[in-house]
Amino acid sequence: MDVKILSRPLDQAGRRSLEDYRAAGGYAAARKALTELTPAEVLAEVKAANLRGRGGAGFPAGLKWSFIPAGGSSIKYLCVNADEGEPGTFKDHFLLSRQPHLVLEGALLAAYAVGIHTAYIYIRGEYEIVARRLETAIAEAVREGLLGIDILGRGFALNVYVHRGAGAYICGEETALLESLEGKRGLPRLKPPFPASVGLFGKPTVVNNVETLANLPGIILHGADWFLSLGCLKDGGTRLFSLSGAVARPGVYELPSGTRLRDIIFTHGGGLLPGRTLKAVIPGGMSAPILTPEEIDVPMDCDSLAAAGSMLGSGGIIVIDDSVPMIVVLDRIAKFYAHESCGQCPPCRVGTSWIRRIVRRMAAGGRRPGDVDEIARLAGAMMGRTLCPLGDAAALPLLGLVRKFKKELEE
Amino acid sequence: MAKIEIDGRSLEVAERTSILVAAGGAGIEIPHFCAHPGLVPEGTCRMCVVEVEGAAKLELACSTPVREGLKVTTESPRIREARRGVLEFLLADHPVDCPICDKAGECRLQDYYWDYGLFSGSFREGKERREKLLRIGERLLLDRERCVLCTRCVRFLRDVTRTRELGVFERGVRSEIGIYENTPIASGYAGNLVDLCPVGAITDTSFRFKTRTWFLEPRPSICPFCARGCRIEVDYHPGFARRSGSEGIFRVRPQIEATPRGPWICDAGRYGGLDLEPRRISEIVWNKGSGASTLTWEKAWSLVKAKIQALVDSSRTDRMTVLLHSGLTNEDLASAKNVFEAVRPRPRIRFADPPLGEDDGFLSTAEQTANLAGARVLGFDLRPIVPEEIGRETELLLMFAGPFADRILSGPFTAAIDPIRTKVLFTSVSENLSGSFDLVFPCALPFETAGSYTNIEGRRQPFAAVRFPRGEVKTEGAIIRAIADVFGLNGGQPEGGS
Amino acid sequence: MTSRFPESLRTRILELLNRFPDKKAALLPALHLVQNERGFIGPEEEAAVADLLAIRPIEVREAVTFYSMFRRRPAGRRLLQVCANLTCTIRGGERILDHLRRRLAIEPGGTTPDGRFTLIEVECLGACDQAPCLMIGGTLHGSLTPESVDELLRGLE
Repeated sequence: MDVKILSRPLDQAGRRSLEDYRAAGGYAAARKALTELTPAEVLAEVKAANLRGRGGAGFPAGLKWSFIPAGGSSIKYLCVNADEGEPGTFKDHFLLSRQPHLVLEGALLAAYAVGIHTAYIYIRGEYEIVARRLETAIAEAVREGLLGIDILGRGFALNVYVHRGAGAYICGEETALLESLEGKRGLPRLKPPFPASVGLFGKPTVVNNVETLANLPGIILHGADWFLSLGCLKDGGTRLFSLSGAVARPGVYELPSGTRLRDIIFTHGGGLLPGRTLKAVIPGGMSAPILTPEEIDVPMDCDSLAAAGSMLGSGGIIVIDDSVPMIVVLDRIAKFYAHESCGQCPPCRVGTSWIRRIVRRMAAGGRRPGDVDEIARLAGAMMGRTLCPLGDAAALPLLGLVRKFKKELEE
Repeated sequence: MAKIEIDGRSLEVAERTSILVAAGGAGIEIPHFCAHPGLVPEGTCRMCVVEVEGAAKLELACSTPVREGLKVTTESPRIREARRGVLEFLLADHPVDCPICDKAGECRLQDYYWDYGLFSGSFREGKERREKLLRIGERLLLDRERCVLCTRCVRFLRDVTRTRELGVFERGVRSEIGIYENTPIASGYAGNLVDLCPVGAITDTSFRFKTRTWFLEPRPSICPFCARGCRIEVDYHPGFARRSGSEGIFRVRPQIEATPRGPWICDAGRYGGLDLEPRRISEIVWNKGSGASTLTWEKAWSLVKAKIQALVDSSRTDRMTVLLHSGLTNEDLASAKNVFEAVRPRPRIRFADPPLGEDDGFLSTAEQTANLAGARVLGFDLRPIVPEEIGRETELLLMFAGPFADRILSGPFTAAIDPIRTKVLFTSVSENLSGSFDLVFPCALPFETAGSYTNIEGRRQPFAAVRFPRGEVKTEGAIIRAIADVFGLNGGQPEGGS
Repeated sequence: MTSRFPESLRTRILELLNRFPDKKAALLPALHLVQNERGFIGPEEEAAVADLLAIRPIEVREAVTFYSMFRRRPAGRRLLQVCANLTCTIRGGERILDHLRRRLAIEPGGTTPDGRFTLIEVECLGACDQAPCLMIGGTLHGSLTPESVDELLRGLE
């Protein structure tokens, strides 16, 4: 696995210690920003890089930052979204575990650009060990004047706290994350207002994914053009693809945005397990509509996958082989969303449950004629009708699956 | 103000008003479950979708504020499809208890199904069975099968009463509303939850199974149980011709404009009238030494007349004491003032009111009667009485207790007035100590009188009678007119009184 | 009520309050601390946490029942959380679950009579490159086979 950690030779720096990280050039971007650049200049560079969010939505980070009203409230928050619940995705787990300081430095840069002095890393509850490592890393950084008050002697303050979730996929949605951080049930909020105006504790808030932030030190050190040049097509930078399923070499792969899916699976991932044939691929985490073997030449960037009727999402690539009946795939998808629906709005609450019950019956051998069409109908009735994107995330893969594998599901 | 267009109609609406409220003001009802005039928009039921010019997706009317030039369509095939979808999802797991559900006739699920549904359900997976008789308050039951999780009830207790007795537990389709351990709703405003619930999930045990909503006529009135003067609707059943005893008041609810603090009433007000009904008396009782007997109005009134006449003849009407209460209407009080202040020598006119309660910081005032402000304006002597003094200086006592007898009469009080030769009580409810009066006349219950009350904010609010007293039961106003006749005066009613 | 929490737990929860402008935000971290100490969060624990955070017990229960990781009743000494999501299924997760069911003679959700193990199915653990996985406490065990599962169980005491 040839990992660069967002295209800088940090992986060779060894594991998580601050000393190793600094020896490999860590916190140089923070020093550059705090000593040579204004916050506006940092923001401008990130905007120019067109860094798209790496959590799944792909919203440009610089643009999101610019929505924070200037002047306005002096209290603002940064929430690092480390909830990583999208099935098939483990790249944030990898990043936080291998290079916690890279993420912390990225958070520092974001906070500096927007004028934020308190950050919470909302990390899914299951990543307990990584959470503790993060806390250790933060303590190290504070001791060395790289976080906390008067960072690098430049008078900038940033307190970072680790905040564990407790097993709710929906808390990866930014407004549900904020609700959860406030100690409530993780129920997504109506938008507008957006977190940039009314966020955590009612204050302007930026929510950024772990990988998104991890790209910032490189952008500040080497510039927007460098970042753009790393990608194949329109999207700049490299991406961390989580490759799993029936492949020989599952793992995290750092590759240019726009690398073809076929190359990821066969060149880097070693192809299918011995004796297995490719049946289908989910390209961007479970919420991304499935692709058939004929469709895997698609470049892995936001626009190309959208054009192919799927999405880049979290970049979680799940390779499905011919030994897996599609009813099993359907069952896991239906079960997951029914379990994770927060329950606020009828289309998702009842829709995911209704579909789950049909699929469970089908999987147990009780399939009736019209079941597959009914699933498609219900999924269609959920699309665009729910309070938050989980409804679409539940519906889209089901629609894709029943359309492309209808024959097998109806046998 | 913003100029907007809804369904082609031009309207001028205050900025920041929601489309839902703006449309409602123009008589256009947009269907909704989770929105409510007394609560902040929630946006979870997805029923109030509308088309907004310039927006690709359907927008929620409840949480989209108007702005200058906004153009909204509230009906279209796309909108109907979306609403039908919501209904289909809600009805999939719904028990459809209509034949045994109290909400039938005023249920949003029913109404919207009629407008936007009318489909044949295709759900075949077996409906979830859930708790149907969860006691959540003294008179409240929750049926979790019927609940559509609009969370109006939870939000009311969280944001309005701030007592937070209800919560939503679990997640997804397992979500359920409930109380904590066995702590019931005891905020004094629990009854509002029944009105709030858009379906039959929360029901009132004092109303359950007693009638059908479509037999009830909502009649506006003013709550008589404290000085707030909340505007209410009294649900009155006019009775079936062939079923004796079917007439009556079944329910009291707040009007939308109940109070400046929202469309709510307290439980004391909501249930006060209903709770009085079983205790009402309808016969005139004469407590002679040898026992009690019932009299006709003519016979009983002739006894009272004789006593009054005796005092008039001997110019000793100052030995007559009249005790009023501040639950009497402005009109009845004015009438009483005119009657008794015209008499020479002047009878003693004082007030015996129920003792003060507690101001609950929301709607319920410390004053337990509806018209103390009115009594003040009329200039009555409102000082607390000294019962011993009254006992010493009175030969004839005419006491109006309205529905408050149990809170005005007490052992010490009745002992103090014992020396009075003739004691007459006008009361709407029975009470043990009324046995110490010589004559007890039944008078009308609240909702059986017309008139006006002046509330604690100085607002004079008129109301009509919901029903009329029957048999020997008279309104206190009619009794005052009868007394006026004895003195040879007219009724003394202000112009236009009833 | 709060006297039922040992001083160290109480102190740690109170320290959390410094991180937030609103005490209620300390709820999830507080519940993790309590569950690590007590093994579960019952009515007594709910009351104690509510008291420390100046919120109502009902708000604590709303969170306890919403989030999958919080337990309302004690579990066995070791909680075996087996991933039942897609990649783990593709890499043989069902076989691992079946093996555990037979080996421990319990169904998912159940606890062995000796109180040693509770077996539950969970959603994606974020370690799909090591599928099939299970988690015990905070520790992930991946690339499981029936043999490695047996060895794992033997090593757990």
